[in-house]
Amino acid sequence: MSAPDLAETLAAIVGHEHVVREGAELSATAIDGILPRWRVRPGSVDEVSRVMALAGSEGLAVAPRGSGSARDLGMPPARIDVALDLTRLTGIMEYVPADMVATVQAGVRLDVLARELGKHGQMLPLDPYGGASRTVGGVLASGASGPRRFRYGTGRDLLLGARFVQADGTVTWAGAKVVKSVTGYEIPKLLVGSLGTLGVIVEATLRLHPAQPATGSWLFSFPSRDHGAVFVAAVLASDLEPERVAWLNGVALVRTGRESSEAAVAVSVASVPEAVASQGAALETLAGSAGGRASTLDDEFWPGLTAALDAPIVVKLAGEIRRVSHWAGELQKLCAHHGLTAAVVGEAGNGVLRAGVEGRVLSQDWAREVVSPLRDGLSSEGGSLVVERAPVELKHAADVWGPVPEPALTVMKRLKAEFDPRGILNRGRFAGGL
Amino acid sequence: MALSPAFLNELERILGTSGVVSTPEGRLAYECDMHTYYKGAPDFVVLPETTAQVAEVVQLCRRERVAIVPRGSGTGLIGGAMAPVGGVMVSMTRMNRILDLDFPNRCATVQPGLINLWLSQATREHGYYFAPDPSSQMVSSIGGNASTNAGGPHCLKYGITVNHVLGLELVTGAGEILRVGGKAVDAPGYDLTGALVGGEGTLGLLTAITVRLLHVPAGVKTLLASFSAIEDASEAVSAIVGAGIVPAALEMIDEVFVRAINEGVGAGYPKGAGAVLLIELDGPAAEIEAQAARIVQICRDHAALEIRVARDEAERALLWKGRKEAAGAVGRVSSTWILQDAVVPRSRLPEIMREVVAIGARHRLVIANVFHAGDGNLHPMILYDDRVAGELERAHQANDELLRACLAMGGSVTGEHGVGLDKAWSMPLQFGDADLAFMARFRRALDPDGIMNPGKLLPSHPACGESFRPAAPRLPTGTWV
Repeated sequence: MSAPDLAETLAAIVGHEHVVREGAELSATAIDGILPRWRVRPGSVDEVSRVMALAGSEGLAVAPRGSGSARDLGMPPARIDVALDLTRLTGIMEYVPADMVATVQAGVRLDVLARELGKHGQMLPLDPYGGASRTVGGVLASGASGPRRFRYGTGRDLLLGARFVQADGTVTWAGAKVVKSVTGYEIPKLLVGSLGTLGVIVEATLRLHPAQPATGSWLFSFPSRDHGAVFVAAVLASDLEPERVAWLNGVALVRTGRESSEAAVAVSVASVPEAVASQGAALETLAGSAGGRASTLDDEFWPGLTAALDAPIVVKLAGEIRRVSHWAGELQKLCAHHGLTAAVVGEAGNGVLRAGVEGRVLSQDWAREVVSPLRDGLSSEGGSLVVERAPVELKHAADVWGPVPEPALTVMKRLKAEFDPRGILNRGRFAGGL
Repeated sequence: MALSPAFLNELERILGTSGVVSTPEGRLAYECDMHTYYKGAPDFVVLPETTAQVAEVVQLCRRERVAIVPRGSGTGLIGGAMAPVGGVMVSMTRMNRILDLDFPNRCATVQPGLINLWLSQATREHGYYFAPDPSSQMVSSIGGNASTNAGGPHCLKYGITVNHVLGLELVTGAGEILRVGGKAVDAPGYDLTGALVGGEGTLGLLTAITVRLLHVPAGVKTLLASFSAIEDASEAVSAIVGAGIVPAALEMIDEVFVRAINEGVGAGYPKGAGAVLLIELDGPAAEIEAQAARIVQICRDHAALEIRVARDEAERALLWKGRKEAAGAVGRVSSTWILQDAVVPRSRLPEIMREVVAIGARHRLVIANVFHAGDGNLHPMILYDDRVAGELERAHQANDELLRACLAMGGSVTGEHGVGLDKAWSMPLQFGDADLAFMARFRRALDPDGIMNPGKLLPSHPACGESFRPAAPRLPTGTWV
């Protein structure tokens, strides 16, 4: 089919006004400077299916898209034909508060959903960096998470069922709409964090949690990383039940409007008021023993953490929980050596750190002297380093995902070949070339 | 399937003669799991001690196109660990060691044959435990738990097995030794760890599992509330969940079970109660005190007859003993029954309980209920007497109607036991052709020649549950549900 014919066929599926062929609305969907031929905005699952069926038969390269906040994630694509914009899929399809389960379309924004759930004292505890304007589908597909994962887990734990559209347009359902089910394979787990490379998530059934009657947040500042590490270990070894345990370095403190210190740990607790107060007191005692100073935080502190990661380069490190302070230090040191400033924010109780990195660096220095040593060290403990955002030249200098070990990569390639043999979905962007 | 002497020689070369069971009487012990109706002895049972041996067995079976059936402790309830078409059963009982306890990283790595409870026993003195607690936990293996994605009463608050598995070593059906996940989270690529849990041995054989350990909670409070009618108890469950309280466990025990448990286990449940709720809260002391007060109020509002709070660990253990040994105790009432494991959305609990009563009445059968009420996971036990002509057929009919009623409410076929051979035929009731085809292709990517546990989980195979249906499914005394 010729290009004009394809555009007409797409328009026949979604309507002329929903096929963007030029201008700012199109250029906003560029990924790493690669401009899609069309931005297509389907208004229903059926339209997504028909667009994918066309893409499948014509071999069009498709990049699914929610709010666009994760567009920097992944290797630069060779080509994009269709930016598949899912933001018109905004239906809250089923929500029975007494079930504590909601089924929503992929384009529903987290803040819109939070307002609806909040009316019934409930919440979806996904708090990815980049803000509440992100969409449910995008957050799940990109595997995004935030500090609340310490208590509530990630999309892997909260996605009960999913409707998705395969590369050939087949609409598929997996999982269940109840909180407990083991019927069939755990296909939803396969979709979370797969960057849409096995299918486009169009509808998600999510486990909800009750919003707690009271919350409290504290910032504990320490004279050194080692002092902070002692505190984190003490919290994790205690029977306290915080919902967040976040690591911050001095740069991150300054970028979020706080006074700098060598290391800081922000903790939040959610429960009945008496338990918030008693756990807060216990945290202050633990921090005091570790040489820390305590101050209270308001709830606005948490969404404000995004500011620390508002940088041209964002890296994510995952390693052993007990090594968080070590990796925070290594990252800071290697960046500083090349004139880069790194604001480090971490999910200390999960062994995850992110850094918003600013400054100019030569591609080869970035690859050989920052990414490579960190990646080698992390991989020796089973961890990984992912460059979540970077200028294109840095992405080409060092694979943003790092190696996927064999034979896992071979198995993943068999899955990709099974479900998307022509490489329609996000071609070339995901880990291991999947 | 006739396997040659040369094949046996090959197995003995890999495992040594003490690692292969080939006598008829030896193989007979492996002919079924706890769903004793489904019988099929393997041609050989192998007892590997290393991952390398497991991989060699898989490579041999792949070359010879011989079916492989994995087996943990054999306490499953779904006809999973039996060999409908013969072949080689791989029993993991000799791979039962704890490989690594790592408290700073809050995890442990174990071999698949390790008994679930042993892990918590090994970690509790350090302040940690393994959360998934199927009622069989004193005998079932962690490999079996991960393979079936097992649940348990405390899943209400803490999630099922998959939520606690951080990493796996698995020998795929293609013979590869796959290592995924581990102490560090969020490895780039597909989350194979998550997707392989619950594979029921159809994707490969688990040879090591890294699991999350949780810190022992600061406090535990166990309450028992009795009601005159199961409907009141069901409404109370909905009200507790609706009040924003997620107890650690919230279990329903009906009249038939209360009687059987009191007589069989001596748990001292209130006599004459139409239903009992066993409620456990855990967490910071101030939190569970406040929540307990609220729950007591809710139960009173729903006409509770009596509310007891366990005063010490001994009383708590006794309340739980009744629940955990319930299925065994019901043997006093009937020795034959069909067990259902379907799930409904929790708001539909009062409605489905009315339906259960109506279905029982319609078929003139006693249906006993002990189940995980907080998450809507039912375990109706349809009691029948196989000496009475036609009763088994009525029990099957009632079972079928129950399952369909749950699915019509938006439920699921199985909440925690798994699919196995028993429920493979019912997969199409919950999934469409495209959904099942996706699962079949996923399976093929891990097991290209279809040698792994054939006939289980998906309905398309000729050995699937359909051909095994009716006759007399029965669970032996001492079954855990």
